[in-house]
Amino acid sequence: MPLPPVKETYSGQVNEITLGGGDRKSVTIGGAKTIPHGGDREATGRRPVIAVDVLDAPPEDWPPVLADAYADVLQDPAAWATKAVETVGAELLCVKFDGIHPDKGDRDADHAVQVTRKVLEAVDVPLILWGCGNDDKDNAVMPKVSEAAKGRNVLLGTVTEDNYKNLTAIALADSHFLISQAPLDINIAKQVNILVSDMGFPLERLVMFQTTGALGYGLEYAYSIQERECLAALAGDKLMAMPQICDVGYEAWRAKEAKISDEDAPEWGDAARRGPLWETVTAIALLQSGVDIVRMRHPKAIARVQAYINGLWGSDA
Amino acid sequence: MPQKKRKTCRILFEPSGLATDVPLGATILEAARRAGVYLTSICGGDGYCGKCKVIVDAGDVESPPTTLLSPQELRDSTVLACQARIRSDLTVTVPRSHALDTGRIVVDSDAHRFSELPGEDIGEGAFPFEPLVRKLYLQMSPPTMDDQLADHERLYMAIRERLDVPLMQTGYRILQQLPALLQGAEYKVTAIVAERGGVAEVVDVEPGDASDCNYAVVVDVGTTTVVAQLVDLEAAATVDAEATYNSQMHFGDDYIRRIIYAEEHNAFDEMQRRIVHDVNDLVQTMAVRQGIELQCIASVICAGNTAMTHFLLNLDPRRIRRTPYVPAAAWIPPIRAAEAGIRINKRGLLYVLPAVGAYVGSDIVAGILATRLYEAPALSLFIDIGTNGEVVLGSKDWMVCASSSAGPAFEGSGVKHGMRAAPGAIERVTVTEDRELKFRTIGGEAPRGLCGTGLLDTLAGLLELGIIDRTGRFADSESERLAEGPDGLELTLVAGHDGQDPIVITQADISNLVRSKAGVYAAIQVLMESTGTTYDGLDAIFVAGGFGNYLDVRKAIAIGMLPDIPHDRIHFVGNTSVAGAKMAIMSRRALARAEQIAGRMTYFDLMNHPTYMDAFMQANFLPHTDLARFPSVQEAVTKTGTGNREHAE
Repeated sequence: MPLPPVKETYSGQVNEITLGGGDRKSVTIGGAKTIPHGGDREATGRRPVIAVDVLDAPPEDWPPVLADAYADVLQDPAAWATKAVETVGAELLCVKFDGIHPDKGDRDADHAVQVTRKVLEAVDVPLILWGCGNDDKDNAVMPKVSEAAKGRNVLLGTVTEDNYKNLTAIALADSHFLISQAPLDINIAKQVNILVSDMGFPLERLVMFQTTGALGYGLEYAYSIQERECLAALAGDKLMAMPQICDVGYEAWRAKEAKISDEDAPEWGDAARRGPLWETVTAIALLQSGVDIVRMRHPKAIARVQAYINGLWGSDA
Repeated sequence: MPQKKRKTCRILFEPSGLATDVPLGATILEAARRAGVYLTSICGGDGYCGKCKVIVDAGDVESPPTTLLSPQELRDSTVLACQARIRSDLTVTVPRSHALDTGRIVVDSDAHRFSELPGEDIGEGAFPFEPLVRKLYLQMSPPTMDDQLADHERLYMAIRERLDVPLMQTGYRILQQLPALLQGAEYKVTAIVAERGGVAEVVDVEPGDASDCNYAVVVDVGTTTVVAQLVDLEAAATVDAEATYNSQMHFGDDYIRRIIYAEEHNAFDEMQRRIVHDVNDLVQTMAVRQGIELQCIASVICAGNTAMTHFLLNLDPRRIRRTPYVPAAAWIPPIRAAEAGIRINKRGLLYVLPAVGAYVGSDIVAGILATRLYEAPALSLFIDIGTNGEVVLGSKDWMVCASSSAGPAFEGSGVKHGMRAAPGAIERVTVTEDRELKFRTIGGEAPRGLCGTGLLDTLAGLLELGIIDRTGRFADSESERLAEGPDGLELTLVAGHDGQDPIVITQADISNLVRSKAGVYAAIQVLMESTGTTYDGLDAIFVAGGFGNYLDVRKAIAIGMLPDIPHDRIHFVGNTSVAGAKMAIMSRRALARAEQIAGRMTYFDLMNHPTYMDAFMQANFLPHTDLARFPSVQEAVTKTGTGNREHAE
């Protein structure tokens, strides 16, 4: 006897948002009316999208396995972006401005604006422009970055409970999308959304981010909180109806298991396979929670996760 | 070997002029305790709260480095009294804003701040007047050859003619004295008969008619404030009221700190001495004022949190703060008041109302008795906002209770310029049409600090003006109203003048207050969710506590401390601890009821409750993360248009 399909129905829906557009390519995410694999394909909304990381300055702490994959472009964000789109197949890029951080080069706003302009010229996929995490520096630099990308419908990150006013105001002025960040806490996530909304920022232009944990480093916390956020959206909570983003690339490659070399841990298997697998497993696990954008780094991991997404969601929504 | 005499130093405290001698090397805080000078000390002398600042005007102290003093304060010879060791005779000035008032709180016109509200006699008349202690003038016929009944039985017989008391008991001393006393008074005596655990005890026998002189003292033993009332048990009337600070405050602002202090310093006797001293002081003051001999006060009845009643009776309080949180006694049998050191009639009794458990004390039972929540036909909520925020939910059918560790913020502790409700405390803050804050102080004096209602009003006012955002953070850190103080950003509420420091509210203060209100609200939420009840079904909220003026309901809701229900369902009932204890002393049926109430309440332990932290995090926002819980606040914000845009449909 065939088993009847199990269908979960909910009253709410995750917001659908389209990044980019105009004379550039666009990508649409969100729109889920049920949990992943919880019903008809249409009800699960847009398929999740991988955002490939491009750094504004050459990373100093990337393990060789990861750095080698981008060895020819690490010095040049525009070339890096081009490679990510043409070779890795990115349909969305995340330009991460680590190089402006006081501890990582302390580069100025001009640098960040130049990077933004060059990347926008080099590729026509939509962009995420993500600050360095130092409040003062982000407040000084990110408004200029936002301005440089005005009209491009980019996703700006991130605003937190402690630091939301500057970036919210500038995202509103430049009509961008905005990432609200919380430290693995569903209540603080909602509080940040309310604070941003109190400033007049439309909830429909927000994407939520909870600090991600990689496999072995709190993955289960990230999973649970993202799933709860998804369920809150599906239950009809308008203040929690935003699509979600997670940062797998950075977190997975911080794991000792991903980055340690063959010499140091010969019994752990080939580092060239181990690292990308760590990133892949983290991404695939988190995709079950209902997350909409996954930031990733290694081309092999990206290819495998993309194949997984294509297999389960179809290559086109 | 000749004993080396230890040098003592004389310490003079200004402006009080109190002085004491202490051994060289003692701390200024120890000297203050000895001199009877009150200094705020939240940490109990561990040197990390920074509340016990004093200025050394003359003499030498040895003061270890601390980050709690600003460079300016160091230049002004400010030291932490608990850390500064005395090296010579000293003259020390206690800054007015940091000192507790020595002496008593003036009750008169401010009586409602510490006792029940005037004109609102809650619970009175609910029970028949049958006081726990009676004085009966007995005119017995002397024994004859035809009537050889023994003196003691003769006395019992006479008492039973007046009272329905099947079980009676008499002390050995009374028996010894009885024959001489009865003969000397020609069998016309006054017997003090007191209810003692279902037995009527002949407490004392006096010659002649002393029946019109039967007083009782009702005491609310609070963590911060001790409130007493003198009750005439013959006339069933309250004749006087008095309040003082709990002098245990030297050892920490909350009772957990005090238990820790007592443990670490083996100071349980000292704790009892302090609180008993406070009670005696109040009794003495009222007795003198009313011209009553202590002999005429035959009973004291107390209510308070469980730790305080343990300190009062010197019962072991240590497991109150340790799992599984077991007090020595929740129901304390009446004892001789003199055994605890309380000075009334030397054979007079001390009653303590029953408690529910370690964290829900007899003050809460008294509150339920006074508000009659135990017989409420519809769902009601009782909240006592003190150092702990206790919450009781229920009706005539069931009652549940919980204690949130709200913290003493709304009592003015743990807040830079917080203070108890005393003259000069800002008790009311309003937002003027020019969008400025306007302050009113108790007694109309120059402002010295903020008491509970003033703090609550300030929080609501800052939110309304957009000076703080919903997280309680200053919205515009660049604002010229803000300054970087020793404790981070601070907002000046009242500019300094005449050598007085300005009154400020710091970012840390605001966070503290938000956490306090979140604790109370989360406790309410957990109790309601655990019992499957809703705010719509809430018929009444009784808010008790002596933390200043009447709460402004609208503001208490605006910051999310109280649930958003129609304002006419919220009642301020003042100090229900005193009110309930008074009912019990006036009616043994009320005391029996209190015992029933204590037994009926189901306690919810919030510390280990699975959803309490979540509820707390949600409430740690103004008014609340779930805005749908506060529809009237949303409405008001939308109307005044303070930049809040609604995007939800």
